[in-house]
Amino acid sequence: MLSVKNLHARIGEKEILKGINLEVHAGEVHAIMGPNGSGKSTLASVLAGRSDYEVSEGSVEFFGKDLLDLSPEARAAEGLFLAFQYPVEIPGVSTTNFMKSAINEIRTYRGQDPMDAVQFLKMFKEKMAYVNIDQSLLSRALNEGFSGGEKKRNEIFQMAVLEPKLAILDETDSGLDIDALRIVAEGVNKLKTPQNATILVTHYQRLLDYIIPDFVHVLYKGKIVKSGNKDLALELEERGYDWIISALD
Amino acid sequence: MLEKTLVDSIKTIDSLTQAQQLALGKFIDKGFPTSKWEEWKYASLKHLNERNWQWSPETLSVNIPKPAWKHSVIIQTLNGNTHSEGALPQGIALLSVSEFMAQNPTFESVWKVRNPILDQNSLYDLNEALASDYAVLWVKKGVKIAEPLLHHYVVSGQQDTAVQSKIFIYLEEDSEITWFEQQRSESSHAILSNYVQEIWVSKNAHLTLIKDQDLQQSITHVDHTFIFQQESSLVDAFTFSINAAYLRNNLHFYIDGPQVVSNLNGLYVPGEDQLMDTHSVVDHRMPHSESNELYKGVLMGNATGVFNGKIFVRPDAQKTNAFQSCKNVLASDRATMNTKPQLEIWADDVKCSHGTTTGQLSDEALFYMRSRGISKATAQTLLLLAFVQQVIDKLEHAEIRAELSDKIVNKIQASLGLTLL
Repeated sequence: MLSVKNLHARIGEKEILKGINLEVHAGEVHAIMGPNGSGKSTLASVLAGRSDYEVSEGSVEFFGKDLLDLSPEARAAEGLFLAFQYPVEIPGVSTTNFMKSAINEIRTYRGQDPMDAVQFLKMFKEKMAYVNIDQSLLSRALNEGFSGGEKKRNEIFQMAVLEPKLAILDETDSGLDIDALRIVAEGVNKLKTPQNATILVTHYQRLLDYIIPDFVHVLYKGKIVKSGNKDLALELEERGYDWIISALD
Repeated sequence: MLEKTLVDSIKTIDSLTQAQQLALGKFIDKGFPTSKWEEWKYASLKHLNERNWQWSPETLSVNIPKPAWKHSVIIQTLNGNTHSEGALPQGIALLSVSEFMAQNPTFESVWKVRNPILDQNSLYDLNEALASDYAVLWVKKGVKIAEPLLHHYVVSGQQDTAVQSKIFIYLEEDSEITWFEQQRSESSHAILSNYVQEIWVSKNAHLTLIKDQDLQQSITHVDHTFIFQQESSLVDAFTFSINAAYLRNNLHFYIDGPQVVSNLNGLYVPGEDQLMDTHSVVDHRMPHSESNELYKGVLMGNATGVFNGKIFVRPDAQKTNAFQSCKNVLASDRATMNTKPQLEIWADDVKCSHGTTTGQLSDEALFYMRSRGISKATAQTLLLLAFVQQVIDKLEHAEIRAELSDKIVNKIQASLGLTLL
């Protein structure tokens, strides 16, 4: 579904991604690991369409469409989802209203009728149960005054509601205690189907105890320098990144 | 100094009392405010010199539809003339200031020695000169009216007209009213709408004052509202500045007793070719009182906004709590906002704070929303509506809140070409 070829991206004069190649198929879970500053979050942001980054070379196809040509909202409507490392506070807009707008704009994009209030509420209730999220949290202004765990859980809830074909989780494990991590991981696992795919961007192996990846890629200085299966993550946990880096440098 | 031709035309007004002539002389000497005046730096009215003003407005009758919600009475001020539509509720009187003072000699002596208005300007002088025997709304002791009193303030003219209006509201002890003022115009000609409202709030009285300012693009509206609060009184003031080419609000609170609470809430949404200027004064003269200011603005098109918030805490006003917040969103690259908080504190045991911000909608928030499939236009709309709602939500009256909310949402959406699904 996703085909990234020789992707280069820069912020200002600084080139951060220096030729990424990545193929993701339906049903797969990919983990992208790497030391700080290797470009992991940049890759996630570029795929979601953050305008701070300029793509200078390469291509990204998503179900055959040129992803880089689409606005962030069109990418979402095509089935891409980014769970943010730092979910943004949206003062005065409740999660409920926020998701209602999102759902109905996406449906309009896809040529479907908007959902009425009854349908929406029914669907919402089902998804709430999925990620064990409380109604009171959803009627509060989105992310405003939420704890780290609440923010991440809310991201997974949004993912459950939007049912993306490809979900990119950017450092979703950061700042979570072990219980919150387990709940978030369970949510992600429940949402997994043979039709969708997940990219986990993470610094630590910890999350991969709960979400088992099919592929593990190591990103370093803007390139994927090593790929393997879940055993690679375990090896990284044990030996760190240095053995890979020193082999390169 | 006023333009020569205007001096000649204004001097043809006869039968002015000595006091009126004195005020007129002051106006002529000073002329219209210009940007050289510190308090009018961003809101010059120099261009008013170019109009051939009709100083005596025509008599006006209007047909404004009544609201569907329950209201106690409609009071109209049409081109400066005030009357009530239908019977006034028990305990409320509407009479001329001369009659009122004759019936209240004790108050008259108090009124005469009240502290002078700060930042008195030439338009106040003009109003004093020409709005002579103005109306007084008298709310008697202990009278509490649950339904809002609706005030239609309307200006109009078949030619360029300067309209002077004035009303005095007198709340006796323990009384309580909601005054909902709809400021409107019915003219394509230039109108200088110069309005003075003075309000005396006696001990334990409670006033909710709501101004809905929605005037046409040919109107220059200057609103001087001076509120004198006595011991343990409460005023909740709301100013919603929605439309007019030029809107200036001079809103002053004079806190003359202890345990007073003054709440000032304001929302201005100027669009293309509109200027909206708020100059607030909160003068804490007595101890143990509290003032809270919350102002918000959304500036669109090439709009100009001004906020100047003065807070004085006099030496006797110990234990004062005074807070001020002014937040603005520039929803266009061409819009400008000028803010100036001004706190002067002479007492040492007080809590005061102020904060002003002016910025654009957060790119982070917009990207976050768009990444969920919400279009940029909808994301902007949702953020702006949430921003203004904070002020609107403070209105307790559900129907007035809904009416104003709709009107403000429509104004913002129309100005920015945004719609919600």
